[in-house]
Amino acid sequence: MFDLQLDEELELLVETARSFAREELSPRLREAESARGPDPGVCASFAEIGLAALELPEACGGAGLGALARVLVNEELAAGDVGAAVALDPLGPALYPLLELGGETALKELALPLLAREGARAVLVAAADAELEVGADAVSGAVPWVPADRVDLLVVLDSEGAVALQSGIETEPLRGAGLRAAGASALRLQNAPIVARWRGREQAGRALARARLYLASLLVGVLRQTCEFTRDYALQRVAFGRPIAHHQALAFLLVDMHAAVDGARLLLHEAAWNADRGRANAALSATAFIEAIDASRFVGPNGVQILGGHGFMQDYPVEKYMRESRALGLLLGGVDAAREEAGRALCDAGAPVALSELEIV
Amino acid sequence: MEFTIDKAMRERLEEARERGRDEMRPIGLIADRLGRPIPRDDPYFEGLIASGEGRTRWPGLKSKPRPSTRDPLRTVTMTLLLTEEWAYWDRGVMVANPGPGLPEGNVLALGTDEQKEQYLGPFLDPDRPRWACFAMTEPGAGSDAAAIRTHARKDGDHWILNGAKCFIGNASRADWILVQATIDPEKGRDAQRAFFVEQATPGLGGFKIEKKMGLKAYESTSFTLSDCRVPAANLLGGEARYEERAGFKTAMRTFNAGRPIIAANSVGIGRAALDEALDFARERDLLGDSRVRDRLEQMARKLRAGRLLCLRAGWLADRMAPNIVEASMSKAIAAGVAQEATSLGMELLGSVGARGDHLIEKLYRDAKAMDIVEGTGQIQRMIMARHLVQLPRN
Repeated sequence: MFDLQLDEELELLVETARSFAREELSPRLREAESARGPDPGVCASFAEIGLAALELPEACGGAGLGALARVLVNEELAAGDVGAAVALDPLGPALYPLLELGGETALKELALPLLAREGARAVLVAAADAELEVGADAVSGAVPWVPADRVDLLVVLDSEGAVALQSGIETEPLRGAGLRAAGASALRLQNAPIVARWRGREQAGRALARARLYLASLLVGVLRQTCEFTRDYALQRVAFGRPIAHHQALAFLLVDMHAAVDGARLLLHEAAWNADRGRANAALSATAFIEAIDASRFVGPNGVQILGGHGFMQDYPVEKYMRESRALGLLLGGVDAAREEAGRALCDAGAPVALSELEIV
Repeated sequence: MEFTIDKAMRERLEEARERGRDEMRPIGLIADRLGRPIPRDDPYFEGLIASGEGRTRWPGLKSKPRPSTRDPLRTVTMTLLLTEEWAYWDRGVMVANPGPGLPEGNVLALGTDEQKEQYLGPFLDPDRPRWACFAMTEPGAGSDAAAIRTHARKDGDHWILNGAKCFIGNASRADWILVQATIDPEKGRDAQRAFFVEQATPGLGGFKIEKKMGLKAYESTSFTLSDCRVPAANLLGGEARYEERAGFKTAMRTFNAGRPIIAANSVGIGRAALDEALDFARERDLLGDSRVRDRLEQMARKLRAGRLLCLRAGWLADRMAPNIVEASMSKAIAAGVAQEATSLGMELLGSVGARGDHLIEKLYRDAKAMDIVEGTGQIQRMIMARHLVQLPRN
């Protein structure tokens, strides 16, 4: 369980992110997609508001905030333009292995320099998503897709730990199914030297849990925007003499889409709230990620459906929302890896299952 | 939505769990097998009364302090957690339990002091199991509550009621029935009134206990009102209230605590299916199969989301904050989740589920009602759509 009431600091943060997304991101959504990156002016003003350093410890010059702050901010940014939201955060979910496994030294040596370097990007890859051979000193192999056009730091995470690479990473530009504003590349690694290697099963699990929350929050943001956009459209568009939202078939679809996003958001906030209290729970985070993906399969395509032919055209953003929400759910092992984790946790628990216990703090 | 559960509440939940395991589930299974409600003189009901259940939330008149008894539940969220636990063990038995039941909220909100004393007073410290019930549904009026035809006609200092009601929980054993009737069928909800009709009032009769698919532990009863004469004082809220305001709408509020209760019941039923399915899979060594695990994961995830939606609606109600969309959402979604969870449980059982003697099979039948009672899933969506997209009423 968790507190739905945000404190003032978090409310202010959400408001800041929301204004930025509305004023800077959503009006330039298609431009950023064609240019494969947000406008430099947008990047500069994002750097100014300091949202990238949200979760960095204060000792590293960050705000020292936690998972809940991150998911709240991400939802707002993703509602503006999810591709840009990915591009604007130089560390992205690659932060978590550094935070959980590498500690302050890793943050200072590997993360902080990226914040100072214009356009720099760290990328997190789950070992299962790539064909990589991790040797004693170097990594070789390929990654089919990452949402980035440059990789300053690559972190490869598996269940035992992580390795960090800074060079020997060749990027091959792809068209990308979605998130083009963040770039899209295949990676080829030839004896890319390992600059840091960390081991720790528990910490790796926590890092993956946090990274899944990061992605789930982007999903919730883009799905919320899909719901809001289609609702407004359905109230304007008239067919058979009334707004299409007032035909029951569409009214019900709209409320079901809304409910799907609310359910996913509640699971996400519950998991983030617990993570901030030292109860980072792999199964809870996996559950939140799966539910967000589940919602995306329902909300994304129906967003296009509600706009009919217009939805299929790029004059409206819903086709972009559909593609991008689908792409997001393919990262970090996607729904299968998450289901595997949540399902196993459930089956390993004693009877009755955890849900049956009142997990109320 | 941060709760702290105090010691007293935790003890109540523990107690509910014990009673559920030891009494509610076994007695519910018997009722299901026999296909009839728990008899009103069953010792189970006596035991509940002896242990302090079956009481009203009404505190009693100031001049006559309430007999010392346990505190009523303080918050909607606490009520949700407790009813979830009861429904986990048997939702049908939960509804069969004695007490002022569904109409209590209406009487508390709209009743005069005299009516509270007369109708809730006996539930302060009941001498025996007592029930009350609320009768809205008619053969021709379910979701469209404005379409009820049961008619009330003023005759001197009495009202004369005529009509037929159906699917009314605990009607034949209730001390009194709060009957919703219209004084003018052409005028829709504005013309509706509620009347206390005491058991054995001449003209009240024709009780027929329906045969149901599930939730067999409590009676769902149809009955008729034939020139049933009740005193003018039996009009809920008294005459004066209707001279000032329209009838039906006074009951409408900006928040709703009833629909989240059905949502909580749904989560309880679904949780029971999940635990049973998990036990079944464990005993048969099926947990190595990812198709089995995926089904269990889906059940758990959807139930968790349903529970959060439900608690959010309760949390808002506790703060007297508008929760109409959230209440309907919790009910619409959680009822579907219960159905999905029990159905996935059946899949997991395979042909064992088709034998008709497994608890999950019972839960599969029980759960269906959750999407029908207290406003069907479709009605909940209409309510949400009125708020979200201003769906017109007509």
